[in-house]
Amino acid sequence: MEGKKLNGNESVVRLENLKKSFEINGEDVQIINGINLDIKKNEFIVLFGAGQCGKTTLLKMIAGLEDITDGNIYINDKKSSGFNEDVGMVYQTTALFPWLSVMGNVEFGPKHRGAAKSERRKKAQYYIDLVGLSGFEKHFPVQLSGGMQQRVGIARAYANDPEIILMDEPFGHLDAQTRYLMEEDVEKIWAREKRTVIFVTNNIEEALYLADRIIILTECPATVMKEYVIDLPRPRSMVSEEFLRLREEISRLADARESEAG
Amino acid sequence: MKFKLSGKSIQAVVLGTLGILSFFIIWQLTCIFTKFGTIFPTPPEVAAGMIRGFIEPIGSVTLLGHIGISLGRVLVGYTLSSVLGTLVGLLMGASRLGKAILYPIFNIIKPIPGIAWIPIAIMWLGIGNATIYFIIFVGGFSQMVMNVMSGASNVDQELVGVARVLGLKKNHVFLTIILPSCVPYIFTGLQVSLSTSWMAVLAAEMITATSGCGWLILAGMQSGIMLNNVLGMIAIGFIGLVLATLMRMLERRLCSWKERN
Ligand SMILES: Nc1ncnc2c1ncn2[C@@H]1O[C@H](COP(=O)(O)OP(=O)(O)OP(=O)(O)O)[C@@H](O)[C@H]1O
Ligand SMILES: [Mg+2]
Repeated sequence: MEGKKLNGNESVVRLENLKKSFEINGEDVQIINGINLDIKKNEFIVLFGAGQCGKTTLLKMIAGLEDITDGNIYINDKKSSGFNEDVGMVYQTTALFPWLSVMGNVEFGPKHRGAAKSERRKKAQYYIDLVGLSGFEKHFPVQLSGGMQQRVGIARAYANDPEIILMDEPFGHLDAQTRYLMEEDVEKIWAREKRTVIFVTNNIEEALYLADRIIILTECPATVMKEYVIDLPRPRSMVSEEFLRLREEISRLADARESEAG
Repeated sequence: MKFKLSGKSIQAVVLGTLGILSFFIIWQLTCIFTKFGTIFPTPPEVAAGMIRGFIEPIGSVTLLGHIGISLGRVLVGYTLSSVLGTLVGLLMGASRLGKAILYPIFNIIKPIPGIAWIPIAIMWLGIGNATIYFIIFVGGFSQMVMNVMSGASNVDQELVGVARVLGLKKNHVFLTIILPSCVPYIFTGLQVSLSTSWMAVLAAEMITATSGCGWLILAGMQSGIMLNNVLGMIAIGFIGLVLATLMRMLERRLCSWKERN
């Protein structure tokens, strides 16, 4: 594991002319139209796209939850098909197992990959503490607020030790205050744990606050529209001159994208 | 924990007690002032009869004995229908092939109430416990199947995907995801089928038994000893209430993950 984290420049995820279409009412509808993307180790990538432009579908393809219509996904230079133990995911809908406690959810991955009980408990506890849920181990998901549920989802993804973590608009349903706190925490966890993160959002501040690189997607069918490398120092101030300038520029781009789509 | 009664709940208790009291008073007055009293026991007579029923046998055994016999029969039939109903329900809900084969035949059998099987059961199994078990079984079975099947076919497919991404092997999906998702449905099935089983045992006992609560109420009527009939009915109501309450407590324990508190 140590060796993996040393080199900062190798490609961990590579999307090659990736395409996806769904059959909707007997018609093939293209959702993703040739995405090329090269993601480096420990990079924090933000996919910034409009609503219903195939963001979830893209992440699901990387996670092995959707078939690839055309093109390729490489993970650590190996062509990927199906589930991959190097990939973990945090879902838009939280998708916790409602009959399992917080502990049961977080230790689910290690448990079903065969980790011994004491080992997986220790690991799960570490991540439960890390996301700030100490004391809630025995609670069931219904007993938690939306923000806390999403924290469980994050801990669950990390506890399985994947090299790549996909986060699908994890804070989309949270109020602004909670959302801001969660963004801070995600950044802290990432700074501490590293991992390669692919984070989907349609919130510009969130994208600018978190990303090493922002990939702006077009409307459906999605392709890469533009890419920004953000090298502002972390943790970022949301009112710095550069931050505001980028926000302005990207929001103008998003507006143009919308009017183009009609 | 709070044990203090609010104004509303005190009111409810007072009004409820008042209702029960007036029921007994009207019963008593009816017995005194109408011909109803010549065939029907008064509340104090019932109370005395109940105490006597626990000591002296009515027919072959005491009141407690009849209750025990009926409960024992329910236990056998109910356990059979619960286990088999759960298995068949899971099979029909989780496997498309299983549903394709079993659902049509099940749909034909389902609307036939348990008691309608009594004549056939007697022909096959003779008069006695086997027939009673069978009647209880058919009553609970379809309800079990219906509930478990809807649980197994409503499993959140996204969760299956989530589990697979986390590394769950395909052949573990059934025990790890499908079965726990069904637990609330299994409980609904268990609850509904328990009250059906309790009704079924009474009907069966009225026809093919010489003991049990069902026999007690029928024998009471046939022998003109209405007291025994009333005792049987009280026992039936009471046991039904106890069973339903126990079931709810068990459900609250096992399905606590569905509740918000
Ligand atoms: N399994 C499927 N079958 C058919 N169509 C699908 C399927 N999954 C997604 N779609 C369609 O693909 C399009 C993109 O869906 P997707 O969920 O990937 O978009 P999204 O960008 O994540 O949307 P949102 O902003 O709501 O999260 C939608 O129009 C959706 O209806
Ligand atoms: Mg989505």
